[in-house]
Amino acid sequence: MRKEEYLALLKESIVGLDFDTVKKVAREAMAVGIDPQVAIEEGMVPGMAIVGEKFERGEYFLSELVVAGEVMKEGLEVIKPYLKGEAMRRLGKVVIATVEGDLHEIGKNIVTTLLRVQGFEVLDLGVNVATDKIIRAVSEHQPDIVGMSALLTLTMAKMGEVIEALKASSLREKVKVIVGGTPLTVEFAERIGADHKAANALEGVKKCLEWVTTKERRK
Amino acid sequence: MAEMTRRERIMAASRQQRADKLPFFHWWRHLQIGWAERECRNRGMGVSWARPSYTVEIHDVEITERPVISKEMKVIRRTYSTPVGSIYCDEKREPGYGEWHGFRSWKDVLPWQVERLIKKPEDYEVVKYIVEHTEYKPDYFPIEQAKNWLGEEGCVLDSHPHSPMQMLMIDWVGSEEGRFFIHYAKYRDLVEDLYQAISKSREPMYEIAAKSPADIVWCGDNIDGVLVNPRLFEKYFMPEYEKMAKIFHQHGKLFAVHMDGRVAVLKDLIAKTPIDIIEALHPPPMGDLPIGEALSLWQDKAIWVAFPGSVYLLGPEATKTHALSLLREVIPGERLGIAMSTENLVSNENLLMLTSVLEKAELPLTEEKINRIEKSLP
Repeated sequence: MRKEEYLALLKESIVGLDFDTVKKVAREAMAVGIDPQVAIEEGMVPGMAIVGEKFERGEYFLSELVVAGEVMKEGLEVIKPYLKGEAMRRLGKVVIATVEGDLHEIGKNIVTTLLRVQGFEVLDLGVNVATDKIIRAVSEHQPDIVGMSALLTLTMAKMGEVIEALKASSLREKVKVIVGGTPLTVEFAERIGADHKAANALEGVKKCLEWVTTKERRK
Repeated sequence: MAEMTRRERIMAASRQQRADKLPFFHWWRHLQIGWAERECRNRGMGVSWARPSYTVEIHDVEITERPVISKEMKVIRRTYSTPVGSIYCDEKREPGYGEWHGFRSWKDVLPWQVERLIKKPEDYEVVKYIVEHTEYKPDYFPIEQAKNWLGEEGCVLDSHPHSPMQMLMIDWVGSEEGRFFIHYAKYRDLVEDLYQAISKSREPMYEIAAKSPADIVWCGDNIDGVLVNPRLFEKYFMPEYEKMAKIFHQHGKLFAVHMDGRVAVLKDLIAKTPIDIIEALHPPPMGDLPIGEALSLWQDKAIWVAFPGSVYLLGPEATKTHALSLLREVIPGERLGIAMSTENLVSNENLLMLTSVLEKAELPLTEEKINRIEKSLP
């Protein structure tokens, strides 16, 4: 098989949500000496991009998005040992978390997957994340964007607490803050001082892209 | 028309008959017993109360609980030991658990499942054993008692758990890190086999409910179209709802399903179900299906709208504005009930404000009547 055929198969296995094929093709591609970086960036990443487009068009749902991410992860496990320290292209860095007291993560995970598809480096702190842990992560990793999620009206207030803590730590001006979650309103986001309230995962990712590409242009 | 009782109003709207006023009610587990609640109930607020018609016995399974540390948290580990193996789940219980109601904390939050019952493929066989050794027996006392206590103050619902696939998605496998979807992709046969076993095991429970003293059988299914996509809904949820409704309708019961998420993506499929009451519908800003569109699309169904918690957060003035806007959207206001909240506790101030709007909502609603309500408000 030619290199292009391996890459096409890697792409198709992700779009087709095929765990077995992705691992088999990844093994074969490495065995015939295809550059691991090329296998990822020209095979798998375009596959995830197609999945993202299908999700946006309503052709694929969250289930397919999640499974495609898992298929890619299993394919990457095969390829990773062949990587020689090369870093994948990164568009920007995002620290993301579901705030303290809230264990809901579906929305956060959709956003995380879509951000990674777009080329962002995402540090996912998980769920029920205490304010000081978010602040420590921002201080240590210096992201471009901080994303926060909440599904409970009880826990939404924690987002404001994080923004206040960012200010107190002189970090607020260094990051954009995006918030999301079913109960949130634009008024609430404005009131707590967030930069944006994501209408949904896709719109939120577009806003992040807009922020980092504007920043790139300014450089 | 003679003035209806709170119960009569709720039932009339649910049966798609004309009520004298728009029914509005508080869920029993959110009821903030006290002066504001008493005042609102005196001004027309009803109560909806969910209780089961059955007891559950699990045979040949040993169940134990003990506190452990898991994921840096103090949790309660519940272990199920069966002849085909053992499984466990870990729960984080907030203060108030077991001291109040519905396994809720003081802040009205259910225990978090930190570790789910089904973690790996081998666990399916154990859960199937538990399911197949679960027996449902009729026990109508809780419903009879609640009906006796409540009288004409509201209605009692026969409370049912998540439907079979939702048990797997929400309770036993869970959606964290997309786990259910990954299991469904990798172990489809195991998922479907267990789904079928749960569905079969539930049949006696449906028969018991059909003969219960409650007028409405309620499945607390927490439907959200982001998690339950149309393909899953059509394949696994609709057949179960059809099975349930067939049994309930034969005995004159209404069938309600809790659909509190974003359901716009499911709206056409929901229209095809035999469900009588779409309960807990959250229109925007929390949900994604406007109430006007839902009423128009689901003409053979009643809708119990849940007042959004995110509006309450903005205070009584926002509550008033949103409530008036809601009334204008549902003119003439038939086939509709308003739940003060289905997910959150409500402050006294917000409860009083919402009552001030709804207590005067005589049916059929007109723009003039709503204008009069608006002028009368503080």
